[in-house]
Amino acid sequence: MTRTNRRKLALTSAVLAVAAMTASSLPAQAASDPGVTSSSIKLGITVPMTGIASPGYNKIPGAMKAYFDYVNSNGGVNGRQIKLVIKDDQYIPTTAVAKANELILKDKVFALVGTLGTASTKAISASTQLAKRGIPSLFVNTGFSGFADKKAYPTTFSILPSYQMEAKIMGKFLKDKYADKKLALIYQDDDFGRDALAGFKQAGITFGTYIPYASGSQALPATGAGWISKLKASGAEVTVLFGVSSASTAALANAYAAGFKTQWVLGSVGGDATTIAASNKAYVPLLYGAKGFSFAPAPSDSTDEYIALFQKIYSVAQPTQTFDNNVVAGMSNAFLAVQALQATGSNLTRAGLIKTVETKGASFANPFLTPLGYSATSHVGATGYWIGTYDPTGALKPDGGKYTVYTTDSGNGPVVESSYKRPAMPAKGLPN
Amino acid sequence: MLKKHPLTAFILFGLLLFLLSNRVDELRVFQGATVAIYVIAIASIILLTGYSGQVSLGHGALLAIGGYAAALSRNHWGAPVWLAFCIAVLAAAMGGYLLGLAAARLSGPYLAGTTLALAIGLPSIANQFSIFGGEQGLLFDIGAPPASLGADFTQYKWYFWIAALAALIIIYWLRNVMNSRYGRNWKAVRGNDVAAELAGINVGRNKVLAFTISAGIAGLAGALLAMTISTVSPGAFPLALSFSLATGAVLSGVTTLGGVMIGAVTLVAIPEIVDSVVSRYETSETVANNLPGLLVSTLLILTVLFVPNGPVEQMRARHERRAKR
Repeated sequence: MTRTNRRKLALTSAVLAVAAMTASSLPAQAASDPGVTSSSIKLGITVPMTGIASPGYNKIPGAMKAYFDYVNSNGGVNGRQIKLVIKDDQYIPTTAVAKANELILKDKVFALVGTLGTASTKAISASTQLAKRGIPSLFVNTGFSGFADKKAYPTTFSILPSYQMEAKIMGKFLKDKYADKKLALIYQDDDFGRDALAGFKQAGITFGTYIPYASGSQALPATGAGWISKLKASGAEVTVLFGVSSASTAALANAYAAGFKTQWVLGSVGGDATTIAASNKAYVPLLYGAKGFSFAPAPSDSTDEYIALFQKIYSVAQPTQTFDNNVVAGMSNAFLAVQALQATGSNLTRAGLIKTVETKGASFANPFLTPLGYSATSHVGATGYWIGTYDPTGALKPDGGKYTVYTTDSGNGPVVESSYKRPAMPAKGLPN
Repeated sequence: MLKKHPLTAFILFGLLLFLLSNRVDELRVFQGATVAIYVIAIASIILLTGYSGQVSLGHGALLAIGGYAAALSRNHWGAPVWLAFCIAVLAAAMGGYLLGLAAARLSGPYLAGTTLALAIGLPSIANQFSIFGGEQGLLFDIGAPPASLGADFTQYKWYFWIAALAALIIIYWLRNVMNSRYGRNWKAVRGNDVAAELAGINVGRNKVLAFTISAGIAGLAGALLAMTISTVSPGAFPLALSFSLATGAVLSGVTTLGGVMIGAVTLVAIPEIVDSVVSRYETSETVANNLPGLLVSTLLILTVLFVPNGPVEQMRARHERRAKR
C-alpha cells in the first residue's frame, strides 16, 4: 500500500520538476545583439512597484514609458520603436536578480535602464554577469559612488551624483551660510551615511552633535523623539538630516510636536514630498522652510523648457497622477536613454551603446542643471547640486529665484560654483 | 521502490535533474536552482514545525546567518566553496542552538513572536558593523564552473548543480533522520509533550536539537541563495522571505517532507505565471503588481481550509481510509 503511494509521490515530484522547468521551450538565438530588430528596441527595468519602498519610486516606470511613447509616436529612435518591460522587484535583491534574469533571458532586452537601489543593482550586476555578457545597464538610480567605477562595473552608468559629492556641496553651503551657528547631523549609520561623513570631512565641517541611527529604527516612535531631545539639549540651530524620507518624517513631526525650532537641511534622498505624503499628507507642510538639494529643475518650474514638455506629456499619459520629482527623474532617465540610443546610430549594438555614452555622454542633451561626468574613465552622471528652500506644498524652490549650481567630484576635488550652461532642448524634446 | 531502495531513487532523480539541466534554457536552470534552494529552506521549516511542533516565523534570519557566514569566510579567509557552505551550516546551527535554548521555554504565539523579532532585528545588525558591508552588502563569488565541464557550461547551470545536489543530500538525510529515534522523539514531543516526557523523552533537549538542525539546514539554504545572487545584503533576507517560506511549508504540508517540492515550485512559478498571463491581457498596473501576492495568499487559505496537512498527506490518508473499507 504505502509502496504505491511512495512511488506516486516520487512520480509526482518528478513530473512537477519537469513541468516547472520545461514550461517554455528553447528559444532560438539571434545572430545580432538581442532586443533589437529593424523596427524595435526592447529595454527592461526592475523597480519596487509594491512593498515598503514603492511609494514614489513606483511612478518612475510610468514616467519613463510616457516619454518613450512620446518618442515612439514621433517616429521612434532611428526608426525603431522603444518597448519598456517593467518588472516589480519589491526592493529585494533576490527578487531583483530573478526579475533581471527574466528580462535578460526571457524578454531578451537590449539593455537594462534605471535599476533602483544599491543592493539590488549590485546583486543584478554580479549575478547576471552584466559585464561578462556586455549588457549595458543605463543610468542606475543610486548615489553609491562605486557604480561610477568603470573597472568594477564596465557596462553600468549611474545618473545621480554620489552621496559624497552631495555632502561636500552641503558642507560648503553650511560653511558659507551658517558658519557661526551650532550645527547638528542626523545620519543613517551605514555606507549611505558613511559616504556622507567622508564628504563632510573633506569639506572641513565638524558638527557639534552627531546623531547616527540604524536603518529601520527611524520607524520606531522613540527614535525621532530621542533625536529631538538630543538636539534640544545641544541647542542645535541648524540640523542636517542625511537619511531616507521616513527619517525626515520622524524628525520633522517630532520637532513640530515638541515645539522645537531648528533650520532643517535635508539631503536629496530624504526630501521627497511624495514619499513623505505617502506616509501622511499632514507632514508635507512641515517641510516648509527647510533647505534641500537637487540637480534636476524643480517639477513646479514650468518656465523650464524640459519641465514644460514633461508636464505636457505626463498629463496626457497619466492624467490622474501628480507631477513630482519622481516623474522628473523617470522622464529624464528615459530622455537620456533615448539620447544615448539615438547617438549610437542605426547600427545599434551593446558595445556601441556603451562606447557612445563614454565618448559623447558628457555633451548629451539632458534636463539636468549640472554637467554630466561620463567619460572613458568615469561613469558618473550628474556632478552637482543646486540649493533651494521648500515651500508649504513641499516643492523645492531655488534660493534667490535662480538655480545656482555647485559641482565637485567624489574625491578630493574642490566644490565650485558651476558656470555650466545646459544645452538648449532639441526641437520638440526629441534628441537628435 | 523509494521505500526499499531510497538511495537508488534519489540517485535516479538526481540523474533526471542532471539530464533536464542540459535540455532547458538558462532561465529555467536559474529557476531550478531557486526551487532547489526553497526545497532546502522549506524542509528545514517542516522539520521544525511539522516534526518538533515549534513555529518559526523568522527563518529568513537563519538564512541570513548562513549567507553572511559563507560570504565572510570566503572573502576574508579565502575558504573554498565547500568549506564556505560548511561554515554557513555551522554558524547558522550555532545561532539556531542559542535561539533553540530560548525557544524550548516558549511555545505557540510566544515562540512565533520571538522568531519574528529576530527576522526584523537581525538585518539591522548588518548595518551596525562595517564588516557586514551595510545596506549594499558583500559580494559572494563562488567562481566560474570548472573548465573540465566545458566552455558551454554556464554559471547558472553550475549554481543549479550545486543547489540540486545539496537539496537531494539534505532531503535524503532528513528522511532518514525523521525515521530514526530522533524523528520519533520529535513527533512524540509534537503530539503531546507531557506524554513524551512520561515516556522518558527529554523534551527540552529534543526541541533544542530540532532547532539546531533546522537552523543549520536553513543556513545552507541562505548560503546557496547568496550564491545565486552573488551577494549578501540585509535586503535579501526580508520579512517577506520568512513569510513566503512559512507559506511554502504550509502549501507543502507541514507534517510531511513528501510534498516539499509543491511549496517550492509554487513560490517560484506563481510570479512567472502571473507575469505571462498579465502580459497577454491589458490589465491595470495595480492588479498586475499585486496578483502574485493575492494568488499565493488564496492558495494558502484554500490549503488551510481543505488540506490542512498538505496535499500529499491528504492523498495518503484518503488511500489508507479506502484500503480499510
